[in-house]
Amino acid sequence: MKTALRILSSLAAVAIVTAVIYALEPIAPILSLGVLYLFAVMPVAVLWGLPYALPVSVASMLAFNWFFLPPRHTFELSDSENWVALAVYLATAVVVSGLAARSRRREVEAERRAEEASLLAEVSSALLESAHVQDELRAIAGRVAHVLGAERGRIELDSLRRPDPPESSYDLVAGSRAVGRLYLKDEVDAQIAGRLLPGLASLLAVAVDRERLGRRALEAETLRRSDATKTAILRAVSHDLRSPLTAIRAATEGLGNPGLDLTATDQAALLATIEDESKRLDSLVSNLLDLSRLEVGAAEPRPEFWTVEGLLGQALAELGPPADRVSVVLADDLPPIYVDGAQIERVLVNLLENALKFSSSTDPVELSGESREGDVVVRVFDRGPGLGGVNLERLFEPFERGGDRAAGRGTGLGLAIAKGFAEANGARLWADQAVSEGACLVLSIPAAPAPVESRA
Amino acid sequence: MTAPPILVVDDEPQILRALETTLRGAGYTVTTAATGEEALTLASVRPPQAVILDLVLPDRSGVEVCRELRGWTEAPVLILSVVGEEREKVAALDAGADDYVTKPFGVDELLARLRAALRRVSDTAEPVIRIGELEIDLDKAAVRQNGELVRLTPNEFALLRLFAVNEGRLLTHRRILREVWGLAYQAESHYLHVYVSQLRRKIERDSARPRFLLTEPGAGYRLVDPES
Repeated sequence: MKTALRILSSLAAVAIVTAVIYALEPIAPILSLGVLYLFAVMPVAVLWGLPYALPVSVASMLAFNWFFLPPRHTFELSDSENWVALAVYLATAVVVSGLAARSRRREVEAERRAEEASLLAEVSSALLESAHVQDELRAIAGRVAHVLGAERGRIELDSLRRPDPPESSYDLVAGSRAVGRLYLKDEVDAQIAGRLLPGLASLLAVAVDRERLGRRALEAETLRRSDATKTAILRAVSHDLRSPLTAIRAATEGLGNPGLDLTATDQAALLATIEDESKRLDSLVSNLLDLSRLEVGAAEPRPEFWTVEGLLGQALAELGPPADRVSVVLADDLPPIYVDGAQIERVLVNLLENALKFSSSTDPVELSGESREGDVVVRVFDRGPGLGGVNLERLFEPFERGGDRAAGRGTGLGLAIAKGFAEANGARLWADQAVSEGACLVLSIPAAPAPVESRA
Repeated sequence: MTAPPILVVDDEPQILRALETTLRGAGYTVTTAATGEEALTLASVRPPQAVILDLVLPDRSGVEVCRELRGWTEAPVLILSVVGEEREKVAALDAGADDYVTKPFGVDELLARLRAALRRVSDTAEPVIRIGELEIDLDKAAVRQNGELVRLTPNEFALLRLFAVNEGRLLTHRRILREVWGLAYQAESHYLHVYVSQLRRKIERDSARPRFLLTEPGAGYRLVDPES
């Protein structure tokens, strides 16, 4: 089909030029017009190469002879001069079409190589930007198949799978290492494949190695950090466990010592110390438990539909009398949230505890809740010294007490646990840096659909 | 003849010692057991008026002991649990335990729970229940607060009614779902906590600081009389 079309087009080109010469014949010497046939030969040579250009050259000269050179309408020539002219034209046509075809071939070749080079550049930047080689393979295989002229392709790393006919497969080998296989729907030019695939294989090999090294580095870093955390925990725990224990022991020995002359008020004070310090120990132990669950990823949330109000009620009840300082303003239209109630309650308790701890007992701690862009946004604001000078990135790390805020009591576990539980439930927790005085922590929880009550 | 004893079951001797001393001081007779088997034997020999039961015992779980006790005695069972045993705690409550306290607990709290559990043993529902300024008319399905009618949806009334007839008593989520929505839970039963919040908005002065309808984290809810 394609060949027939080309032959017809070639003949048409010869016919057109013949017609043009016929038109020009009255105004120019006929021998000089023969050169016009090059306009038929050149495009054919450029487009389809010598196999078409040569017959077109011969056909042109035959047409010239038949139509224009005397005796007309024969292939005979009356004049030997005409023989020479015809021979020169033919030789010119052949040489020119040969040159045109060659330059065309070079151009095509150059385009091909440029395409291959840009393919490799694209592949290498895709692999560099992506964290996972596997995610990029589909796109890369598609591009490679396209450049190789196959309809579809897929790359399988470390694969030895035999191709399912009519699929063909090409090993991707970098140096002596087999990286994987490229499977193509059709057979492709082995020469181009042989030029392109080693480069592709090397790029893939480098990317696979880089990913593996990155993973190892991350594991090492995680280990190092968890070691550092453990050391920090041990140090802080031994300090934080010892101080309440010391107070309890001193108080009990004081109470039990018959040699001491204690008034009823003194005794009550010692008993209150024992009670307070035991509670402190208890809360430290629960915090450590929460933290260790978060660290090992065992804090799997069990979500249910809750209201912020309901969870806040539990949080305030758990905080007891100190929470009387908390002033609560919740919007009327707060949607429910779908979270683990105990964990988000813990987040609220820790945020409020933190705010209460770092602000004067005469100042209020303000908690507000509003609905914004599909989230329930809870802000806890205290009028304490604020977070100026605090490294906000480290604020949520365990045993970070917010710079000078370290003067207060507590292990610095609260915010780390709050952030851990918030994130486990799809919520976000951050410090609002826009407040000029005091500190404001913001908890943003995705809203859940509200119930539609069926009326009985 | 002395009053029936309180049976305390825990495998840690310090806790047994502390509880025994405190309960005696509060005027109760006390027997103690360190294992589940021992507890069941003691209870069958001398039926206790209440059982204080640790969830984790060396030979069997507190949940099993609770279930077995419920087979033949109505004596209230108070669970001792620690943070991290929420699942077992709820299982024990669903198996018939009446209430729980979380270790480490205050003695006052334990005694209050014990008194409340003992008081509830002979409770009968009356047609009109008064709790603080709330007046719940079960027959007419009407609720008044300080004489003013409170408008409740059918679900909200069903919830309040269940809480009111079980005043002071811990109701687990499962029990509330079963009694309000029936065994074939409807989709809206997932919204239990949301309905409780809505109910609070109607009966509490400050719904973020409830006085009547208290949450027992991880276990259930309890309606109390704030003035008692």
